[in-house]
Amino acid sequence: MLGPRLEGRNGVELRPPRLEDVQAQFEWVAQPEVTRFWSPRHGEWTHEKAEERFKRFVEGEDAINWAIAYEGEAVGLTGIFDIDWIRRDGESGLFIGRHDLYGRGIASEAVRLRTRFAWSHLRLHRVHNWIALQNRGSRRANEKAGYEQIGLYKGYAYRSGHWLDDWMGEVFPERVFTRTERPDTLSGPEEGGAESVPRDHSSEAFLPRPSGAQVPKTRGRKLHK
Amino acid sequence: MLGGIIRGKKVTLRTPREEDLSFINGLTADMRVRREGHVWDEPATAATWKDRLKSAAKDQGIVVWIVEAEGRAVGIVRIRAGQEDPRHADIEELTIDPAAWGRGFGSDAAVALHRYLFDYLDKRVCAIELAADNTRALRIAEKIGYAEFGRGHRVYFRDGAYADQVWLRFDRATWDERWAATEREYAPFPEGIER
Repeated sequence: MLGPRLEGRNGVELRPPRLEDVQAQFEWVAQPEVTRFWSPRHGEWTHEKAEERFKRFVEGEDAINWAIAYEGEAVGLTGIFDIDWIRRDGESGLFIGRHDLYGRGIASEAVRLRTRFAWSHLRLHRVHNWIALQNRGSRRANEKAGYEQIGLYKGYAYRSGHWLDDWMGEVFPERVFTRTERPDTLSGPEEGGAESVPRDHSSEAFLPRPSGAQVPKTRGRKLHK
Repeated sequence: MLGGIIRGKKVTLRTPREEDLSFINGLTADMRVRREGHVWDEPATAATWKDRLKSAAKDQGIVVWIVEAEGRAVGIVRIRAGQEDPRHADIEELTIDPAAWGRGFGSDAAVALHRYLFDYLDKRVCAIELAADNTRALRIAEKIGYAEFGRGHRVYFRDGAYADQVWLRFDRATWDERWAATEREYAPFPEGIER
C-alpha cells in the first residue's frame, strides 16, 4: 500500500512514494555516508528492479510505504512492513538518503507522523524495529515518538574494525497518542481513562503537536537504522 | 533452497518432497501448532503448496527441511540467512507434529541442525524468537545453548489474549564449549593423511 499525504512540521511531510523515489533510493544506498549502519552497498539497481519494487509498494497488503519530503523534495523513505493484521503488529523502517540534511530533525518528524498514523488510522496495537545502537540520530528520533528498548542484539554487522549492535524497540502507539496528543482524541485520559479513542476521522489528525505538549518519557537507553 | 541430509540420533532432516505437502498443510492447520505462531503459511490447496515449495526452493535466503523419524515425516525446519552477516542464521521454524511430541524428536532435530550450522557451515551466531509461554520450545532452546537477549511485549495474539515474545541467540563460543567435543559432522582425518 502507499501511504496518504501526512503534513508535518518544519517543512516535513510523508507522501505516497512515486517510481522516481524508488529509483532515487538506488542512488542513495550507493553512498557510503548512507550505508554506515545497514545495506551491503551493492544490489541489482536496474530500472526493471525499481519498477518491480514500486509495484510491490503499491500492491503489498502487509506494508504501508511513504516517501519523506523536506521542503517539497523527496529525501528518504519510510514505512511499516510485515504487518500482521491479526496481531496488529508491524515492523517500521526509515532512512534519509540525503546525508547533507542529517541533523535537521527530518527523521524525528517522519517517525512521529508514521507512529501516529499507525494508531489513528491503521489501528495497529504495536510497532517494533531494529536500529543500530551506534546510530544515535535514528534512535533518538524513534525514542521521541515513544519507542522503548526491549533488547540488544550484539554484533549484527561489521564496519571498519567494530561490530555494530542492534537496539530493539517497540511502541504501543495508542498509549503514546491518547496520552499526549489531545487534538487526536475524543476524550483525554482524565475523561476517558486508558480506553479513550482517537478521533480517526478528524481533519485535525495530522496537525502538528500543540505547542508545549510533552513527548512521552521513555525508560532507559534506546536506539534505529 | 531445499536442505540436504542431516542425521541426528532419533531423526533425520531431509529434502522436502512433493508427497510431504499434505503433511505440511496438516501442520499449518493444527491449532496446537498455530498457537506457537511460526507456521510457514496458511492452510491451502495442494497446488498452492506446490507453488510455495517451488518458491522456497528458488529463494537463496532460506533453507527448508522435513524432519523424519521412524520412516515418516514428523516435522519441518526452516532457516534464513542473515542479511547483514552471512554467518548469522535465523531459525524461522522447528515444528514437530503434536502427535510425535514427548519423544525427544525436537531436541534431537535441534542439536543436529545446529551441528550442521556451526560445524559444517561455520555460522557465527543463530537466533530465534519464541512465544514466552512456549515452555517446551524454550526448554529445548536453553538446553542446547540459547540465551535471551530481548523481549517483545504483547506480540502473539491467540485465545483472545496477547502473549510476550522472547528473542534468544546461540553463539559459536557456546556451541564450542558445550557440543563441539561430541557433535561433529565428520570424524577427524587420520594422522598423516596430508602426506
